[in-house]
Amino acid sequence: MFEIIRSNTNINFVKKFGITSIISAILVIGSVFLIATKMKYGVDFRGGAEIQVKFQKSENLNELRKSMKDAGFSGITMQTIGEASENEYLLKVSANEENLNEVTDKVSKTLTSKYAADGVEIRKVDIVGPKAGAELRKSGFLAMLWALLAIMVYVGLRFDFKYSPGAIVALFHDVSIILGVFALTGTEFTLQTVAAILAVIGYSVNDTVIVYDRVREHEAKFVGRDIKEHINNAINETLSRTILTSGTTLFVSATMFFIGGLAIRDFFMAITLGVVVGTYSSVFVAAPVVLLFDRLRDGKSSNTVNAQA
Amino acid sequence: MRRGWWYRFVFLLIVAIISGISIVPTAFNFKETDNFPVKSKINLGLDLQGGLYMILGIDFKKVYKDEVKGYARRVEFSFKDETGSGFKLGDIDASDPLDPKLEILLNSAADNEAVKSVIHDTYNGLIRITGDTGSTISIALTKKVKTDIEEQSVKRSIEVIRNRIDEFGVTEPEIVSQGTDRIVVQLPGVKDIERAKELIGKTAKLEFKMVNSEIAPATIQGWVSKAKEEGLEYKKGERFSTYVSKVNELVRQDLPKGHVLAFERVTNAKGDILQLVPYLIEATPRLTGEDLEDARVQFNPQQNNQPEVGLNFKSRGAKIFAEVTGENVGRLMAITLDGNVYSAPRINGKIAGGRATISLGGKSYNEQLKEARDLALVLRAGALPVQLDFLEQRTVGPSLGADSIDKARFAAIIGCVLVFGFILVYYRVSGMFAITTLALNVLIILAMLVGLGATLTLPGIAGIALTVGMAIDANIIIYERIREEIRKNVGFYKAVENGFNSAFWTIIDANITTALAGICLLNFGTGPIRGFAVTLLIGIFATVYTSYFVSKIFFEFYMNKVEGQDLSI
Repeated sequence: MFEIIRSNTNINFVKKFGITSIISAILVIGSVFLIATKMKYGVDFRGGAEIQVKFQKSENLNELRKSMKDAGFSGITMQTIGEASENEYLLKVSANEENLNEVTDKVSKTLTSKYAADGVEIRKVDIVGPKAGAELRKSGFLAMLWALLAIMVYVGLRFDFKYSPGAIVALFHDVSIILGVFALTGTEFTLQTVAAILAVIGYSVNDTVIVYDRVREHEAKFVGRDIKEHINNAINETLSRTILTSGTTLFVSATMFFIGGLAIRDFFMAITLGVVVGTYSSVFVAAPVVLLFDRLRDGKSSNTVNAQA
Repeated sequence: MRRGWWYRFVFLLIVAIISGISIVPTAFNFKETDNFPVKSKINLGLDLQGGLYMILGIDFKKVYKDEVKGYARRVEFSFKDETGSGFKLGDIDASDPLDPKLEILLNSAADNEAVKSVIHDTYNGLIRITGDTGSTISIALTKKVKTDIEEQSVKRSIEVIRNRIDEFGVTEPEIVSQGTDRIVVQLPGVKDIERAKELIGKTAKLEFKMVNSEIAPATIQGWVSKAKEEGLEYKKGERFSTYVSKVNELVRQDLPKGHVLAFERVTNAKGDILQLVPYLIEATPRLTGEDLEDARVQFNPQQNNQPEVGLNFKSRGAKIFAEVTGENVGRLMAITLDGNVYSAPRINGKIAGGRATISLGGKSYNEQLKEARDLALVLRAGALPVQLDFLEQRTVGPSLGADSIDKARFAAIIGCVLVFGFILVYYRVSGMFAITTLALNVLIILAMLVGLGATLTLPGIAGIALTVGMAIDANIIIYERIREEIRKNVGFYKAVENGFNSAFWTIIDANITTALAGICLLNFGTGPIRGFAVTLLIGIFATVYTSYFVSKIFFEFYMNKVEGQDLSI
């Protein structure tokens, strides 16, 4: 048998929980801080208009800005997107503009008439009114909340309610770190990001549930042993599966991220991060929280045997 | 071989064959006319083939206002029928925009009881009296009417938009309501986005209002000049209706009760406004677009065959039209579109029979023809009863869609090849089984997309790629279990059986939790996000079936062949 993780691997994960908890806590707190201060919301959520435009030849961004300013559009920001050789630019009109539709139409028309010789092509126009933006923000948030709630209830019913908090803490951990990286790298938070985050929630809880499944199996099979031992054995036994699955999912998501094109890049950035963080959290976040809740629930457990080193 | 195996194998074969057949038209790009049992292809989302997506919001505040006026007119008619005398309509009090109140100015206080009894007897439950000073009565809509209006407005708007879109010729439009005051319009493949938007966005609130003939045009011009002195002047790029309401607000004290200022816009070929002609018109329309039966482009033989719009009223409309024109010979009747005067023809005499024309002067022949066509189209489709606001709008150019699809597809294939290669090296013969089930998985997903008429979006392709990445998980769970069992030396037969058994609930648990996230996405997401959710959910079903049940069929067959003596895993 070809193995990446040797079958008799026995790492004492529980012993490392102290260090990993500190690392996780720092990462999460840092992420929350970044999200609060630096997160850039895309047009979906803050409202406004975006025009994606492509030229046949390279354009100077400053000249482009100047010519739009000369045409009477002052509140428009511009940036290059994708590879420099693609000559693609993104123009953003802010949401407080009196009439987004009209302004956007005019900007498009100005572009197509002024740069006709440069092979200009309007590739995409997104207009989101401020009111719709607020609603999308609300529904995106609700989707995440309901997903978390549904998962918590399912895990609680299928396993035991001492497992639910672990799954949820792990999910908060993953989501906040992914969003933290988004904030740090200046990647915009869009509707697509919400979809990616929900997919990650699905993936991460999937990973967590598989470890839990083993713990429960051990609890039923070897009654009387300390839960620490169950957790350690369960993680070790599923380690091979965990690494393999994360590996194959990473193959796909990283490939999509690097060569899948602009339109899905941010989406797969979230997925790729999610697979890495989600795998880590299944072992180093979800499991310790179960330990914590197990201890909280029966303070009597002092008579249990200590975990083997 | 047990009989159960055969049943499951035959079922698998049927699933595979049906799936294969249903994606043939998509894969080989069949034409509709080709002779093949399945015709439908996978619907491509807007982000893949380009097109227009928008969310329109209905402004009920305005609808309520119009509706209260409409009821006042009806009361007037009933009152006239009963007593022969009439009343005038005063100002509207919209301090609560969701419950506007309208003043009825009685000719004499003696009419008070008679008007109130008409309201009570004929319009009971439809309108309510909110104030009574003896010489004026205030009315408002009842809750029941408002609820009806909401439901009807959404329904009718969708109908009207569909009519317009049909005339525009889009192959697969999707027009659906969202919530109580939203309409989502999706027009895949539409290239002339500007024109489509114009057509849908045109609220075409057509009204016929009498122009006040008692106040001299110079006085009216004076009001406009007064507004100008106050710094109120229409600037390009500003919403015209905002300007008009500001002017009205400013000169409100000077206007006779129940009247408003409206403008006719004289524009040049580029659509720039050259001149604004002010009119003092009654706030309440005599007739609305709802009274209109039909509108079409016709050519006037007396004027060089110039295009014009011919109107044809419904029987109720024709009756009112004849009455109004008969009473007001010599006066101007303003035809307003969305509150702006479109033309104000002089009534030359009583127009019976319900036919009238709107001439479009002052432009080149081609422009007149285009305008006449657009106007007639908008009117014919039935003037919208409501004002629609563009809340959200997304357009994707077709080339961007093609670029994106190429890149995403290429990446998805590379990703799958990587995974397949790895699995083959890692699990050898069993890896072959896994790859077969994965390929079947993708096939089933695509077939289900065809079958359900679901739309494949860019995030959808991402969803399929992700499913492949994650579907292998179920195989890995099973295989790792089997390996564990083999290490315990229970024999290959038993190892496979135990492996499948102990993996079952793990796979179910894992996939249900992912499905929960998918359901939340489907519930709260819009557009492409829903596309992703649909593929994710379909993927989960397909995954559980192929990775567990189909794998099991393969393994049972294989273990029987080698009589449990060998297993390459």
